[in-house]
Amino acid sequence: MPTLIRLIDGRYEAADDVFTDVADEDVTPPEGAVILSLARLQAEGDGLLSAGRQVGVRIQSDEEVEALAYDLPRLALVALVFPKYRDGRAYTSARLLRQRLGFTGEVRAVGDVLREQAGFMARCGFDGFAPADGASPAEWAHAAGRFRHVYQRAADARAPVFEERASDGL
Amino acid sequence: MYRYDAIDKEFLADRANEFREQVGRRLSGALTEDQFKPLRLMNGLYLQLHAYMLRVAIPYGSLDSRQMRRLAHIARTWDKGYGHFTTRQNIQFNWIKLGQSPDILDQLAEVDLHAIQTSGNCIRNTTADPFAGATAEEIDDPRVWSELIRQWSTLHPEFSFLPRKFKIAVTAAAKDRTAARVHDIGLVLRRNRDGELGFEVIVGGGQGRTPYVGPTIREHLPAGRLLSYLEAVLRVYNRHGRRDNIYKARIKILVAALGRDEFARQVEEEWSKLESALADAPDTELARIRGAFAPLNFETLPATSAAFDAAKAGDPAFARFARNNVKPHKKSGYAIVEISLKAHHATPGDASADQMDVVADLAGRFSLDDIRVTHEQNLVLPHVKLDDLPTVFAALQAAGLATPNIGLISDIIACPGLDYCALANARAIPIAQSIAQRFEDADRAELIGELKIKISGCINACGHHHVGNIGILGVDKKGEEFYQLSLGGSGQEDASLAKILGPGMTAEQVPDAIEALVDTYLAIREGEERFLDTVRRVGFAPFKEAVYADAH
Amino acid sequence: MKAITANRLIDGEVVFWKSGQWIERFAEAEHFADDDAAGPAAVETARGQSTVVVDPYLIDIVEAAGGWAPVSYRERLRALGPTNEPTHGKQAEGGAGVEALLAATGAARSTGRVDLIRRK
Repeated sequence: MPTLIRLIDGRYEAADDVFTDVADEDVTPPEGAVILSLARLQAEGDGLLSAGRQVGVRIQSDEEVEALAYDLPRLALVALVFPKYRDGRAYTSARLLRQRLGFTGEVRAVGDVLREQAGFMARCGFDGFAPADGASPAEWAHAAGRFRHVYQRAADARAPVFEERASDGL
Repeated sequence: MYRYDAIDKEFLADRANEFREQVGRRLSGALTEDQFKPLRLMNGLYLQLHAYMLRVAIPYGSLDSRQMRRLAHIARTWDKGYGHFTTRQNIQFNWIKLGQSPDILDQLAEVDLHAIQTSGNCIRNTTADPFAGATAEEIDDPRVWSELIRQWSTLHPEFSFLPRKFKIAVTAAAKDRTAARVHDIGLVLRRNRDGELGFEVIVGGGQGRTPYVGPTIREHLPAGRLLSYLEAVLRVYNRHGRRDNIYKARIKILVAALGRDEFARQVEEEWSKLESALADAPDTELARIRGAFAPLNFETLPATSAAFDAAKAGDPAFARFARNNVKPHKKSGYAIVEISLKAHHATPGDASADQMDVVADLAGRFSLDDIRVTHEQNLVLPHVKLDDLPTVFAALQAAGLATPNIGLISDIIACPGLDYCALANARAIPIAQSIAQRFEDADRAELIGELKIKISGCINACGHHHVGNIGILGVDKKGEEFYQLSLGGSGQEDASLAKILGPGMTAEQVPDAIEALVDTYLAIREGEERFLDTVRRVGFAPFKEAVYADAH
Repeated sequence: MKAITANRLIDGEVVFWKSGQWIERFAEAEHFADDDAAGPAAVETARGQSTVVVDPYLIDIVEAAGGWAPVSYRERLRALGPTNEPTHGKQAEGGAGVEALLAATGAARSTGRVDLIRRK
């Protein structure tokens, strides 16, 4: 099982993954938290949720998170898939989940997830990371915290440079 | 000029440190080449045919003399004593060693320069009018907006892994010196009937394999809403741009596939969901940036200069330089000086370290410490007093920088081509040189007038051949270099794409073909008609006949 | 015949394979017969040297007047340097090997370098 890193209260920590990632060809396990594809969520989600199970959804980079709007308040987790390092669609998905759809559960980066993306991911609202490069929480935190300043507002709480400048001037 | 503050400087230092660490991980084997390549590209470092090439950003083509001197120092210390200014207003060094590249980034950061986002599928350096702040034609200073875009786009968390690279141009003058209509986004500042400042937003222009002149998707975007609108455009593109085929991944393909109206509708819909207070720059920041570009302390001078007039009357070479390379300035008694990097035997866009030092020195003494790079691969001293022009000319002449050919037939854009570039199919530089040498007679060049030749060594069109009055594309035809001529392109406000004239030819045949085109033009032009105007008026037939009668 | 080339990781220098070593002069490169399995095998070995070279590959070479030269014009440029600056790159050294490359003419086919844009 790959390391799971969670961003909690500004700290990157190793975490146990309580979710079972259910591939489309596999049956849903009888108990425990699960991550399903969007299609499977639509088919099985209601039943699992009414049984009190924790349910997450796995969104491919060509699927739109707006499709989740109705289900989101009941979901524990949205896993956004990076099929390739260079496929940047999940960054938009994460921002929309946080800033437009108001999702407060875990947004997890899965797939081709490397530490070079850590800073971008955190800024877009990801708080769960399954690094494919075996990065440790310390290495991940080092990469994510590389830049002392950010130039624009995003889905995180970091103050962009123009706010830093404005407060310096006070 | 905009001066980097402690925050900007710390950011560049962090970036340089990050890259040093990444290079270390690559050299130790912790990163594979496949993993490292996108990281080095994000710092402008390519592996070309003979060495690594480092592309340094010159944000909106604006430099001070301290920065130019540092570029000269880098050329001398880590390269072979020269640099190549590009069609994106950047500079490239052709002989860089990977192991030394972190030291170079440190050297750049010391003078507020960097290589951030000079490659990769991200928002690249913004193109701006090289005459910004100097020309009377502009209704606002495009550098203000370009700097705003620089900051907003720097390591943008959502838009650093786009389907493909993304280039924005900003101009505020009727005469377009940025090729705005062949950028991914072209922003043309205008005032509406109520006098409010806004942008005409052009999206989906571009060159490469599938060239387009971009359509206007919004006639007047209130200027203060720029960043939120860019966010909307980029978000639509990031989500829906093609990622399955690298040749179809630019935004122009998406705009063409959806159609202008549907693309615009999607952008407006996304834009309507963005909260201005969160997505647009606060007025205070805009005012701070604007303050940095406040009008310089120009002296109050008469509109004419006895020294300038006397030099023109006494020195025909200076008079020629003044006719072709000196442009009107918004302030009385000043001029804009274009420095041609197109000496007839030189490589288009190249400047030696010594030449860079000369330009830096002249900028410091005579141009309010301001230097610009044009997308036509020349340099500009934007604020020179008329009184100082003879002195500046003499210094440029001594440095081999006074070629009086701006906008003329030998002012050729050429990409590095197969002499350097790993992507090229054919050479471009020697073709430019052979044409420039053929038209070395300055009287004849002036007689011909404005004629823009642009040469690319492959279909990616870095040499802008699609918008050349005469475009030349190098191709690999059965293993030999062949050149395809096209006519009628323009990258300016009257943008149009050149169309292929006829069958390709060998390198040796190109100067004769250009000569045939020029002779035909001279024979049939009417009045003050430029070459481009004549082609548009009469069509290809007489040109085709002349070239292919001569060439075969 | 074929030779093996790559760019050296640390400085990007064009290098050629010679009996397990990487050398800078094309004239000293090891030659492999077209059907010699040792060529592809050496490329495989070279691919394993990822902290030494980038992207090793085989090139076609032919015997021209005065010596061997790559078939492809692109590879001749790599073995020489840029044509616009004769004092830059390997050609600056001069000598018989460089002369042979400069004299080489004829088919300049681009071998094994398709889809170049993907390789950036």
